[in-house]
Amino acid sequence: MQVIKVDPEKCTGCHQCELWCATEIASVAKELAGAIIEEPQPVPRVYVEGKKLALQCRHCVEAPCLDACPNGTMRRDKETGLVYVHEPTCIACWMCVMVCPFGVINPSPTYKVAIKCDRCRNMGYPICAEVCPTQAITVEPRQDYRKVF
Amino acid sequence: MEFIQRKTADRAVNHFLLKAADQEITVAWDRFEGQLPECGFCESGLSCRDCLQGPCISHPFKDQSKLGVCGKDKDILAAQSLLRLVLKGTMSYLDQLNDFVTGIQAGNVKPADKGQADQILKAIVDLMHTGNSEVVDEFPAALVEAWKTVGITPQGVATDVFKASQRLEGGISNMEETLLWSFKTALLGCMADRLQTRLKAAVFGPTTASELEVNLGILKKDVPTILFYGSVSPLLKHKVAKAAEEKNVSVMGVCTDPLLPPYRFFPVTTYVSQEIPLMTGAVDLIVTGSQFVNPSLADVAKDWKVILVPTDGLNQNPDPDAWAQNIVEQAVNAFEMRQTITRDIPMVKESAVMGQSAADVDINKIIQALNSGKIKGIALLAGSNNVKYTQDEVLVTVAKQFLANDILCISEGEASVSLAKYRLLDPARRDKDCGAGVNELLAALGENMPSVIDWSLTDFLLALAEAGDKALSDYPICAYFPEANRTAEVTQAMWTVAMGVSTYFWPCLPVTGSAKTQQALEDFCRDKFGASLHVVTQKIDARTKAGLFLKTIEAPAAMSGKSWE
Repeated sequence: MQVIKVDPEKCTGCHQCELWCATEIASVAKELAGAIIEEPQPVPRVYVEGKKLALQCRHCVEAPCLDACPNGTMRRDKETGLVYVHEPTCIACWMCVMVCPFGVINPSPTYKVAIKCDRCRNMGYPICAEVCPTQAITVEPRQDYRKVF
Repeated sequence: MEFIQRKTADRAVNHFLLKAADQEITVAWDRFEGQLPECGFCESGLSCRDCLQGPCISHPFKDQSKLGVCGKDKDILAAQSLLRLVLKGTMSYLDQLNDFVTGIQAGNVKPADKGQADQILKAIVDLMHTGNSEVVDEFPAALVEAWKTVGITPQGVATDVFKASQRLEGGISNMEETLLWSFKTALLGCMADRLQTRLKAAVFGPTTASELEVNLGILKKDVPTILFYGSVSPLLKHKVAKAAEEKNVSVMGVCTDPLLPPYRFFPVTTYVSQEIPLMTGAVDLIVTGSQFVNPSLADVAKDWKVILVPTDGLNQNPDPDAWAQNIVEQAVNAFEMRQTITRDIPMVKESAVMGQSAADVDINKIIQALNSGKIKGIALLAGSNNVKYTQDEVLVTVAKQFLANDILCISEGEASVSLAKYRLLDPARRDKDCGAGVNELLAALGENMPSVIDWSLTDFLLALAEAGDKALSDYPICAYFPEANRTAEVTQAMWTVAMGVSTYFWPCLPVTGSAKTQQALEDFCRDKFGASLHVVTQKIDARTKAGLFLKTIEAPAAMSGKSWE
């Protein structure tokens, strides 16, 4: 399974991933100048806060959000293994928000849905990895740690 | 990141781009691709590096990090990003003027009209010290009064540039006031530019419309060639040209003033392709200033064994005559040494008429044509190239659209060179490009009049204001900077707006991060000067860009009636 890896040594905390994630994934305009003036404000799915590290959904193998979701809104794509929110059925109970160990699922400030990174599953390549100026964000196959340890 | 777009519309440049790709030489376009994606915060004016607590950003998509450490919000950040550009741009005009004046005061040249030159030198000193200079009287009285009311009449370097730069250091000026400081600074640049033009005429004699040749085909195979890059002191240029004439050395220019009576410096190419002339092998020595000169030239010059002479180093030759002789001798020697290097000169050159002024063109005929509806309006075209657009494409398409729709085009500087490469400044080609109205007017203006008139924009606007009976903002005029990139061009756009001429500027100025600042450039400016600085964020093609002005002529935007609060 292909997942996003972030190298804390390379991340400079420049927030470019947030900027382009909001523009490409969350905005209607799909270009920066238009997205900035858009209402409601587009929300990025990746978070750069405090320490210099970009954080987005890890698409856990044992994903607590999948277990916590009461009505199957949180789903896993069988082919790619990516976890995503099926927005039409979200009842905004925020169980996923509570259980996420990384704090990368958040309530949308405008709509009654949970928002999280789906690793740009409908695009060829995740936008955060594409725009990262230091290539701190990369897409790599997930290592099987059970084999490692 | 890949950036897929045609690089240039100029076939001579294209020939060398293919060659560069073959030989794995990097040019501006490759370096631009390496920079992508460019920082979105800087692009939209939402970043600040003015102190060492930062760098700060105002995050457009998050509820926290909206304010910088010192409390600057997005509106102030955007207005200050613009001010930063304008300050740099104004200083580029002041620097040019300073070089020129220093040379004259050192007695390096004997002015053609001593009385006039002394008068202008006094005006320059007055402008720099108090702003109370006779150059201000050249501008229409109503305009100067409006500037005074808003508080942006230039008051000298100390009050304009120093004070404006302190807006970036701190203080509680709001966004509108910061914008006004930008206009105040820009006006100082405008007047410096105006005085420089007048001083040039007083020292070297008036510039008249002259025939020139442009593009890479003008380079010569069999004689040593010197190229001037960027703004170089006119005194040195004059002396080099004189010395070169005696030794049969050809002297041309890139991004430099092409006319310095009695000499002409044929423009070889435009800004973005400035490395290409060296790649022809037909250049032996280059004399470079700083403005408009890419640092990459040093490496390219090394590869092609071209001698590099910077003119603004720390230890300059104090005697310009000896220096000019030395430059020409170096070029002659270099020509001998470079015999083994192939001189690959493309057969692409066009002729052009440049350097029109009020003495060559009867402004009253233009006003009559406007009043009688023979022409619909006037478009002012300026600005150099930008690697973000296909070189020359937008500028040429916009000009052709205007001409076909009976809009008279006036251009200056680098824009003229770009247009000349596509024969828009060639009188022989006039009938093919122009609509009936413009063609008729141009024919009436003179025999040797090209489709687009190369005329200093400020000079044209002042002539128009003097001859006409209306304020500049009441005429259907618009300025276009379709492919701009230098700060000097931002400054020019700002003063054009302050003079009452609405201006379109591409690429987007770094104000797009704040809707309020962007709106202020439209409405606040229209309220104060009767003209707007349009920042168009939508991605539109060249024809649609031309259409923006055409649409305003047909249906002028109504004032809301409410003043800006």
